[in-house]
Amino acid sequence: MKILVLGLDCAAPELLLGWDDLPNIRNLMAAGGYGRLESVIPPITVPAWMCMSTSQDPGSLGVYGFRNRADHSYDKLSIATSRSIQELAIWDQLAREGKRSICVGVPPGYPPRKVNGLWVGCFMTPDTSKDVFTHPPDLGARLNALVGGYPVDVKGFRTDDKAWLRNQIFEMSRKQWTVVRHLMQNEPWDYFHFVDIGLDRMHHGFWKYHDPKHVHHEPGSPFEHAIHDYYRHLDVEIGQALELLDDETIVLVVSDHGARALDGGFCVNEWLIDQGDLVLNEYPAKATPFAQLSVDWSRTKAWSEGGYYARVFLNIEGREPTGAIPKADVLKYRDDLKLRLEATTGPDGTTLGTLVFKPEETYHNLKNVPPDLIVHFGALAWRSIGGVGYGRGTFHVQENDTGPDDCNHAQFGTFILGSPRGGLAGEVQGARLIDIAPTLLELSGHDVPPSMQGRSLVSGLSNTPPPSLDENQVIRDRLSGLGYIA
Amino acid sequence: MVGLDGLEPSIVEGLLARGALPNLARLRAEGGLGRVATTSPAQTPVAWSSFATGLNPGGHRIFDFLRRDPKTYLPDLALNEYEQKNAFVPPKAVNLRRGTPIWSVLDAAGIGSTILRCPCSYPPDAVKHRMLSGMGVPDVRGGLGTPTYFTTDPEERPRESEQISRLERRGDGLYVGRLIGPRNPKDRTDMTVELLIRPDREGRRVVVESSGLPRALEVREGGWSEWLRVKFKAGLLTSVKAMVRLHVLAIEPELRLYASPVNFDPAMPMFPISHPFDYARELADEIGLFYTTGMVEDHTGLNNERIGEEAFLAQCEDVWRERTAMMERELSRQKDGLFYVLFDTTDRVQHLFWRFREPDHPANQGRAARPDLAGIIEDQYIRGDAVVGRALEHADDETLVIALSDHGFNSFRRCVDLNAWLRENGLLTLKAGHDPGTHGDEFLQGIDWSRTKAYALGLTGLFLNIEGREGQGIVPPDEADRLKAEIASGLTGLVDRETGGVAVNAALSREAVYHGPFVGEAPDVVVHYNAGYRVGWSASMGGVGRTVFEDNTKPWAGDHIIDPALVPGVLAMNRPFRAQGARLIDMAPSILEALGAPKGEAMEGESLFS
Repeated sequence: MKILVLGLDCAAPELLLGWDDLPNIRNLMAAGGYGRLESVIPPITVPAWMCMSTSQDPGSLGVYGFRNRADHSYDKLSIATSRSIQELAIWDQLAREGKRSICVGVPPGYPPRKVNGLWVGCFMTPDTSKDVFTHPPDLGARLNALVGGYPVDVKGFRTDDKAWLRNQIFEMSRKQWTVVRHLMQNEPWDYFHFVDIGLDRMHHGFWKYHDPKHVHHEPGSPFEHAIHDYYRHLDVEIGQALELLDDETIVLVVSDHGARALDGGFCVNEWLIDQGDLVLNEYPAKATPFAQLSVDWSRTKAWSEGGYYARVFLNIEGREPTGAIPKADVLKYRDDLKLRLEATTGPDGTTLGTLVFKPEETYHNLKNVPPDLIVHFGALAWRSIGGVGYGRGTFHVQENDTGPDDCNHAQFGTFILGSPRGGLAGEVQGARLIDIAPTLLELSGHDVPPSMQGRSLVSGLSNTPPPSLDENQVIRDRLSGLGYIA
Repeated sequence: MVGLDGLEPSIVEGLLARGALPNLARLRAEGGLGRVATTSPAQTPVAWSSFATGLNPGGHRIFDFLRRDPKTYLPDLALNEYEQKNAFVPPKAVNLRRGTPIWSVLDAAGIGSTILRCPCSYPPDAVKHRMLSGMGVPDVRGGLGTPTYFTTDPEERPRESEQISRLERRGDGLYVGRLIGPRNPKDRTDMTVELLIRPDREGRRVVVESSGLPRALEVREGGWSEWLRVKFKAGLLTSVKAMVRLHVLAIEPELRLYASPVNFDPAMPMFPISHPFDYARELADEIGLFYTTGMVEDHTGLNNERIGEEAFLAQCEDVWRERTAMMERELSRQKDGLFYVLFDTTDRVQHLFWRFREPDHPANQGRAARPDLAGIIEDQYIRGDAVVGRALEHADDETLVIALSDHGFNSFRRCVDLNAWLRENGLLTLKAGHDPGTHGDEFLQGIDWSRTKAYALGLTGLFLNIEGREGQGIVPPDEADRLKAEIASGLTGLVDRETGGVAVNAALSREAVYHGPFVGEAPDVVVHYNAGYRVGWSASMGGVGRTVFEDNTKPWAGDHIIDPALVPGVLAMNRPFRAQGARLIDMAPSILEALGAPKGEAMEGESLFS
């Protein structure tokens, strides 16, 4: 039994499962099981795809987002790469039984992993015309030749030139799917895993045109249907890929997280200053990234990194270089800060519904340097702005410190899982991203390693095939009404 | 090119002599008119495939409506099949006809074609202009057409190729019934749409309310309703759009209704029926909804005696009208290349109205005489001639106009049960406990293969039970030729003991009839029946009857699957051509020459213009 995983980064269940003009998706839904898929905390591309592939939560991977504290200093942040992930992924488990895998664009996928099979780097690849982005290395030149330069991302996707952006994303995706089908047909594989990053870029770039409830919605924009068009494009590409399969292949269409409208940015460090937790030597004259601020560490108890969510760090005596919270007070202080964060309000003064997570309550393990609190402002309706200088007491901004962005991630992604024999049927409740790897292993007849934290969605399900029609009835149906033989 | 399916030369000649076919007469005067040799067997899908490819059946693979899987002995339709690569993609229709059809040869030469309803063009080919598929397109049940009989009678059992839907009479006098749609691919249950039927006795009509469009559909007694467009749903994800026409059989004392086979909706067919895909919808938008199944006229209803001759003819009238509208629309748009349209109502009417020409036909026994219907067949020919006239109006001096029938017609009075004959001659043995003529033993299921050397299935001939080829074959391959010759000589000249007439003109080894890459799929022995005979109903489906000969008493009382020499087609063109020895396989090379395109590489025929 082979496994094909078609990852759609950021695919939202209400769109993928809701739109009825996606015939190939609908077919797959009718043939298998589908539903919402609870992502990890935080629901971010890195580490979510690897949480899925390893069935480990972010704490167990020691990767809490794209940027992670390298140590307890104030300034050392490391960007996660493929090398940050040490746990065995499903393709590593399968390789122990001699199975070959092909992974295309699975983040973090650069530098390329030396899998038993082929690896094609993800959007983190700096430049596919210069850097080695595949395993084996010479595969890259073949792919570049095949599609006329293999693209891994649209550089500068946070732009106002939407027509350009749309064309770039579609072109990238078409080239990637061409490569996917080329490899599916011409290379041996037991496990194939592709991630289409274009959908994530489309959501971030075009959500305000798509969603009438978006605060900046522009009705009647020429980009009103851009996201819908992209789903239709994916449906066609998926249909073409499915045509290449034999009937011994499990198919999973899956996303790492969902998508939702972004109401604005919450200036978390402005708020910490206002609350007295963060003290600057000098308040900047204009919006300034946190790393460039002059912080009075001796009087600072907490600071935060921005992004789609906030990672709040405490300045603890004996842990940070100039710790300001006595060890004994840490837990009390953190509980108090958590309560205050949960009470944050929107521009109209009503509570945002902010979710605050303690790492030790969220993860099985806490490898590397976890944040002290993880904050989803407004349950991710608001992104986190790390910069300061928007004006004292200004917590809510519409501009984004990293460029225009219409959408945030949502906690629930989606999945459709079809198996040639048995498996899931109909809508499935309660599925989680970390349940995917054990499910795929069990469906394909492999043992599930006990270290995997998810549970197989098909465990305990009986594999009764659909009733087959009496052969004579099939013939009668086919010949009915021929006349000559009545 | 106007195809008129099954026009019998002798009838055409008689009508021409009476001056009743002015447009064919005009073609004859401008060019010529003559008989054209058909294929063996003389059968619509076989003949039109030879027309399209210029090949004998050994080259295009269509030998009959039916084929069988030699491994399992199970019959199947021979025109197309469905392929599903895996459980996650929908099945795809696949045409089983091989060879290169004329429209593909023209495409390669940069010349466009519009092909309307050519048999064995399903699924449609990607031609340069447009194609609407014909014979081979199923109804939503997947067969050629399964009508539904609605009745309150709990005892009523389905007749041939029919399904029964029970009507429930409610307290308020309304009836509730269910229109049966496709099978749900998941659990094989029927997908249905509820119908609420309001009889209006004074108004001699019923009103059918449903979730379809129109929400309230009027059905007048005796007539056919407009199309009812419905959507069958299976769960949240699967739905099928389709359409059906209803016919009231009786309002009193209890309501009885009849539904045509449920057709694909041209706007959203379950499988592509046109190229481009949207062409069928465009056509429906312009000329109105039309029947989409490959065999439109409801011969099943008439043969089962559910509907009457008038209802059948009313439907034929609709088909003539819609097919003519298609032709007119395309002819007014098309500036060059090949235009082809097939009118096949002529064939269906002759099957079912032939008995009215012959008062002593066995099918008339026990049935009321209908002298008023004796001229119906001629009326259809005249109708076909008028269509040719409409086509001629669109032709300029540069246009070659062709009228062609693919085979002739004859009476079907006596059935020849080939399996009974094989059994009588010790070549076929039934399983212990199976008697000949047992109902339910069709599909070759009563046969003891370990003691059977030959078996018949389909309309063309019979097969040997060859070791290594058939699943339980016993005839050593090196004895096959000898056995074929033995059977052929035994059948040739076979005498009908009851009438003393010759029933079989010739039985031939397939190698004597066919050549080409697919001869191996043909029946081993091809049977050419004499006029008035045809293979029996049961034997064609793999049954084994009690007697070799019996009367054909079904309303389907005319047929053409006999000695091809007895049922040539008719060819008329507005340009002089070599009529002597003209064959269907000469048509494609002739048309290619007329359009200035090189003859298809493998085509066996010769242009009639050279």
